[in-house]
Amino acid sequence: MSALPLPLDRMQRWMQAVVVNPGSAEAGVRSPEAQREVPAERIGDVILPSATLTPVERVGIYHGMYLLRMRDALAGDYPGLEHFLGDGGFLRLVNEYVQAHPSRSHTLNRLGDHLPGFVAGHATLPRREFCAELARLELAVTDVFDAPEAPPLGQDAIAAVPAEAWERARLRPIAAFRLLAFRYPVNAYLQSVRDEDHDHHPKPRLRSEWVAVFRRDYAVYRLELSKPAHDLLADLVRGERLGDAIAAALERPGRQRPSAEDLFRWFREWVSGGIFAEVRLE
Amino acid sequence: MGHGGDPVAHPLRRHMGNRWGFPDLGIGIGLRTVHYGEILGRKPEIDWFEVLSENYMDTGGRPVFVLDQVAERYPVALHGVSLGIGNTDPINLEHLTKLKALAERTRARWVSDHLCWTGILGRNSHDLLPMPYTDDALRHTIRRVKQVQEFLERPLVLENPSSYVEFAASTLSEWDFLKTLAEEADCGLLLDVNNVYVSSFNHGFDPNVYIDAIPADRVVQVHLAGHTNKGTHIVDTHSDHAIEAVWDLYRRALRRTGLVSTLYEWDESVPELDVVWTEALKARPIRDAVERELEPQEAVAR
Repeated sequence: MSALPLPLDRMQRWMQAVVVNPGSAEAGVRSPEAQREVPAERIGDVILPSATLTPVERVGIYHGMYLLRMRDALAGDYPGLEHFLGDGGFLRLVNEYVQAHPSRSHTLNRLGDHLPGFVAGHATLPRREFCAELARLELAVTDVFDAPEAPPLGQDAIAAVPAEAWERARLRPIAAFRLLAFRYPVNAYLQSVRDEDHDHHPKPRLRSEWVAVFRRDYAVYRLELSKPAHDLLADLVRGERLGDAIAAALERPGRQRPSAEDLFRWFREWVSGGIFAEVRLE
Repeated sequence: MGHGGDPVAHPLRRHMGNRWGFPDLGIGIGLRTVHYGEILGRKPEIDWFEVLSENYMDTGGRPVFVLDQVAERYPVALHGVSLGIGNTDPINLEHLTKLKALAERTRARWVSDHLCWTGILGRNSHDLLPMPYTDDALRHTIRRVKQVQEFLERPLVLENPSSYVEFAASTLSEWDFLKTLAEEADCGLLLDVNNVYVSSFNHGFDPNVYIDAIPADRVVQVHLAGHTNKGTHIVDTHSDHAIEAVWDLYRRALRRTGLVSTLYEWDESVPELDVVWTEALKARPIRDAVERELEPQEAVAR
């Protein structure tokens, strides 16, 4: 046995191919990517055995830790999805996901950015649509957690707007704000996971939810909204003038039409929640 | 496992410190999310904090809010895991730019990372992957350390990693590699005595030889941690109390370096702040004893 003369870049390509292989370390050593650099039968010329472990077992320590590290990072951002899929199901999803979307960043914080889309396009995942919506909610929580801090609209700024000017006011939300609409009760599901209320997880059946995710005083909140409240808020964050947004809300049919009391209550709740950063007048 | 000879304590080491004059910050612990509330609320008497650089680079939320307050009250050093000083991909200037900004924002006493590579072809394994200890790898790493130091406008401090494989191509011991790297690149060292122990178990070398070979005047900081012994090998999990053999290595290292900033790492199953801090404080009697040992020699030297 003699050491294989392997330039550093080829050694790194070989070891990375082994470590990130979705199968076993042995499968990694035998993968085409790894064997382009080191024939499988020559692993002993690259990695020495220890007194207790073979070369494959030794490089397998890194292989085993890689997937667990990816799982831990994604489980931190997607606790609801992990709970829904169970340990085995989630680990399988993570294994597939990091093959398609490996980390290319210095931080693991954004590893899961593509997970909702990956789940939505997954061919065999059980309850795929529910999972995709749950992942979308959880990604919004992560986005809001990391978004730049900006002071919310204060009472002084609100008081400075003349009463007659509110009609043409446009409200800009803080960066740490996301507005979401779902066909499944994913917010209720996530809350039951957070509460460790394992007897009352909502079933993944069609039941619409509308949720505002926002940050105040560095804590992330998920506020469930009615559909009329969601639609009005959606118009506002799109930059519609307040008067136009309210007029549109009042034109909605039947139970979708808010009362004046509803409008005041929502607006008060949104302002006190710190959802808006700025009011602009034209 | 054998034992090397007694280490030679430099008589003036306590006052010489490291060659850059980085201060002995005392005993610190890693800043961890689960302790944020208690640290901000109780303001515990901890000498200093080590901050995982990458956790604070791309967020505008609570982590940086907490970090700003911690850095206001305590000395802080930055410790990274993604620099990839041994990578063969080009150096990531975006990462370095953010690292430099974070160091300035926190008034970091120094900036450290690991002697390792982290990925290739644009990927990041987020692991501290081992270097082969060859002359080519040494030259490659020296070049990159110099580039990083030039960019950061400060010495880079590199930590010896735990490792689980040995390369057949290696022609140098890890300690010789590290020693030459530190001297030729003129960088600092973060001596992780738990990592020395872990690697010595996994590769069957004498950890005392390692400790005794490290250029003491380049050691800016020492790490301590717990590990997990799997029987066939040890994994550097940072999940427990440090074993006695690791504290022995710490004592041995201090006799060579003099009093040096000491940091206890606990990253898995992180217990309450008091538990981590109590573990870290086990360093204090060792520091006191080493200080007493060094004082008479200092007098003789005068």
